[in-house]
Amino acid sequence: MQGTLTIFRREFSAYFNSPIAYIFIIAFLVFNGGMVMNGFFLTGTADLRGFFGMLPFFLILFIPAVSMRLWAEDKRLGTFELLMTLPLRTREVMLGKYLAAYCFYLVALLGTLPLPVMVAQLGNPDGGAMASGYLGAALLGALYLAIGTFTSGLMRDQISAVILGIVACFLVFIVGEQWVAATIDGWLPGAGSFLRRYLGLAEHYESLLRGMITLGDLVYFVGLSGVFLTLNTLWLEGRKY
Amino acid sequence: MIEVRGVSKSFGTMVALDAVSFSLARGEILGFLGPNGAGKSTTMKIVTTFLAPDAGTVTVDGIDVLTEPLAVRGRIGYLPENVPLYLDMNVQEYLTFVGRARGLAGARLKDRLEWCVEACGLVTEYRKPIGELSKGYRQRTGLAQALVHDPDILILDEPTSGLDPLQILGIRELIKSLAGSKTIIFSTHILQEVSPVTDRVVIINEGRIIADGRVGDLRRSAMGSNRVYVGLRGDAAAAAAALRGLDGVASVDTLPGGGNPRFEVRGPFSGDLVAAVETLARDARWQLTELHEAPYSLEDTFIALTRRAHAAAGAPPEVA
Repeated sequence: MQGTLTIFRREFSAYFNSPIAYIFIIAFLVFNGGMVMNGFFLTGTADLRGFFGMLPFFLILFIPAVSMRLWAEDKRLGTFELLMTLPLRTREVMLGKYLAAYCFYLVALLGTLPLPVMVAQLGNPDGGAMASGYLGAALLGALYLAIGTFTSGLMRDQISAVILGIVACFLVFIVGEQWVAATIDGWLPGAGSFLRRYLGLAEHYESLLRGMITLGDLVYFVGLSGVFLTLNTLWLEGRKY
Repeated sequence: MIEVRGVSKSFGTMVALDAVSFSLARGEILGFLGPNGAGKSTTMKIVTTFLAPDAGTVTVDGIDVLTEPLAVRGRIGYLPENVPLYLDMNVQEYLTFVGRARGLAGARLKDRLEWCVEACGLVTEYRKPIGELSKGYRQRTGLAQALVHDPDILILDEPTSGLDPLQILGIRELIKSLAGSKTIIFSTHILQEVSPVTDRVVIINEGRIIADGRVGDLRRSAMGSNRVYVGLRGDAAAAAAALRGLDGVASVDTLPGGGNPRFEVRGPFSGDLVAAVETLARDARWQLTELHEAPYSLEDTFIALTRRAHAAAGAPPEVA
């Protein structure tokens, strides 16, 4: 636990030690704010469905860019060897890194809070739906980030890590889409529906946007994130052999 | 303290280590020698638990590196070949990070940081970003990192590589000052680095240990005979014949060069060859211009050992 905290501190401050953090946060806010405003007055409803609806696409690009450095940079600097010879378990180090990147994402997400405040001023929004939307955004980020952490562990080079991360996040997103599931079902009956239900994120995320928080959806996000983080740990430990 | 038994390691089809064994007692300093790519770093990575051996066992302080890697890591201070530094941190932040990750806190952490910074000569650079430090100071920061938790065992992979002579001297002094209290393995491909620090060496080549022992013993066993240079004023042929007649002399070669004749006399290590030549010269009334033992350098020893290892393996000797 102490070890995880030490790694967390180092990794979290590493984001803010360089201009990258500020560039990322500004890009995140400008893009999201801009896109929300783009459709907000056209639809004329006091909610944030536009914002939350777009988030899965935007985060496919944003999150792997946040996570790409987590392991790939250590491998390039040689500090990977330091981390793996500290008296810490691989999963403690992994968790410290993951939580640092996650907190960084939450900081960016907190930056969007003026949006619900604005919506509340302009109309009479469904506060519960917005809250569960934010919960969905937090869970979505956790899942993408677990995938990005995993792909960063596979690579030595940050560019490869970010591209692989984008592809992997996109796959998890796309298998949740109805038409993709139907197409796969056409080739191999049942396979598409199975993937959509257990791997794809669309269904789980959309039910959170509608304001429904079910145990199944929570288990999906937390469980699948856990799977990728476990794979990450196993991969890094397996490298020894 | 450190026991390496029959350790093998391959990367794909490349055999990096082939049944490597050696051991090290508490408080000993071991110079780990070998050309680049011989397997020095791989061995160190296995001892520090960064890599796992394919076969064989390694124990550190009696603890197996495979079954209890965390306990082993806690006892070791490790400086990898590529000094692992976070360039965005300053020296203080970096050493604090490593100290905390190694379980230090509070006054103990503070004491250790002060000691390391003093011992490694980092006082003036303490608040500078590591990215702005010179190669020598980066190396020292890496060394400070390995010492921060006051480990019993130090494993230093090429600690002096890329440093200027003065910096090399500094690192050497530091290693010497730790002698006795710590068990140290340091690797180098520069043979002269070893003698000032320790006389216990292990020589590795192409993944195999080709020699293990004291530098002096290795010289004797590798070279077979002692070597004495003799120069004198007088008749070369007569002198050579007289030298050949000395007890135990294996060969007398005339050294090239004008002027007075010079000879290289080879004989056994036992018995004093120099004294024998001296007596001979006095009796024969030669005027000696030169008489001294020419100890084999570690290079000669290393080349002879490598050739012998090749011959034993049935491979043609490499031109060294």
